[in-house]
Amino acid sequence: MISYRAYRRDFVGGMRAMVPWLIGVAPFGLVIGVSAAQADIPTLAGWLTGPTIFAGSAQIATIQMLDAGAAPYAVIVTAMVINLRLILYSGAMATYWRGTPLWWRLLGGYLLIDPSFVVGVERYDRESDRRRGHAHYLGGAVVLWVCWLAVMAVGATAGARLPNGLRLEFLIPLFLIGEIVPKLRQVATRRAVLAAAAVAVACLSVPMHLGIAIGIVAGIAAGARTRPKAIKQEAVSTEEGHR
Amino acid sequence: MNAWTVVLAAGFGSYLFRMSMIGAPGWIHLPARLDDSAALVAPSAFAALAATSIAGSVLGAGVPQAFVPLAAAAVAVVAVIRTGSTYAAVLAGMPTLWILTALTTA
Repeated sequence: MISYRAYRRDFVGGMRAMVPWLIGVAPFGLVIGVSAAQADIPTLAGWLTGPTIFAGSAQIATIQMLDAGAAPYAVIVTAMVINLRLILYSGAMATYWRGTPLWWRLLGGYLLIDPSFVVGVERYDRESDRRRGHAHYLGGAVVLWVCWLAVMAVGATAGARLPNGLRLEFLIPLFLIGEIVPKLRQVATRRAVLAAAAVAVACLSVPMHLGIAIGIVAGIAAGARTRPKAIKQEAVSTEEGHR
Repeated sequence: MNAWTVVLAAGFGSYLFRMSMIGAPGWIHLPARLDDSAALVAPSAFAALAATSIAGSVLGAGVPQAFVPLAAAAVAVVAVIRTGSTYAAVLAGMPTLWILTALTTA
């Protein structure tokens, strides 16, 4: 059992470690909030993607596809495909959380997403006392959750007041372009992006808007095929650089 | 199924994914291949979403207006390459969209 003071110190440490992530994800949350307000669905339903799905890219896909009138099953399948990585995070955290109370695993699992995963694992790897690692994870994850929902609410409130003539629906594709372009230097990612975009556009007329899900799967397949080769190439160039 | 039900179902499915291995017996492990592919999910999803959204704007517009989203997207790509900042896409793309929309509809 660790003292309340030590627990609080580690909890606050986790909150501090999350700050750089908050700066990075806040604009993303704002854009999602604005798109929730502009989409042809109840604004509150769009905002509700925050506490329920709690994963930015899957939230965007859900809001955009609902706005476009996609079939419900296609929306759910697409969100699930995007969130497949959560199974990997779950697998990694399972080793740290073995033996914890059920309430902890239910809560920790709910808050598990890219930033909380990275902040949590980074501390678990350095800390021999798991309980202190748990406090650190929870501190970071809770502050992320609160800030994420808050910035989405700000975006949704502002988005509802802005005129349609501003074409704010275009914020999301532009934001996504900003996220994609810096990653195009990696061969596997570049092939994944090109394949996903090409297949998704080619499948625009596929019923139930399933083209997005098909495009995502095609992108992952194209990138995964080239990945071992790319990793080898990177290893070779690194070795050459050391010589 | 309305928007509320879809959001709740997607949220429930996401929670099941989060709990899948946390609640599984310790001897169950994920294949390494799946681990390798995880980093490709977000870029693929972003590309598919952005491409279909832009294509939708292009296909739904007339001849001069159809070029507006394409031009805004192109400016966004160049802005990110030139500045290295992810937010440059929005900061350069949205004004381009507004200006070209005003010019083509005038």
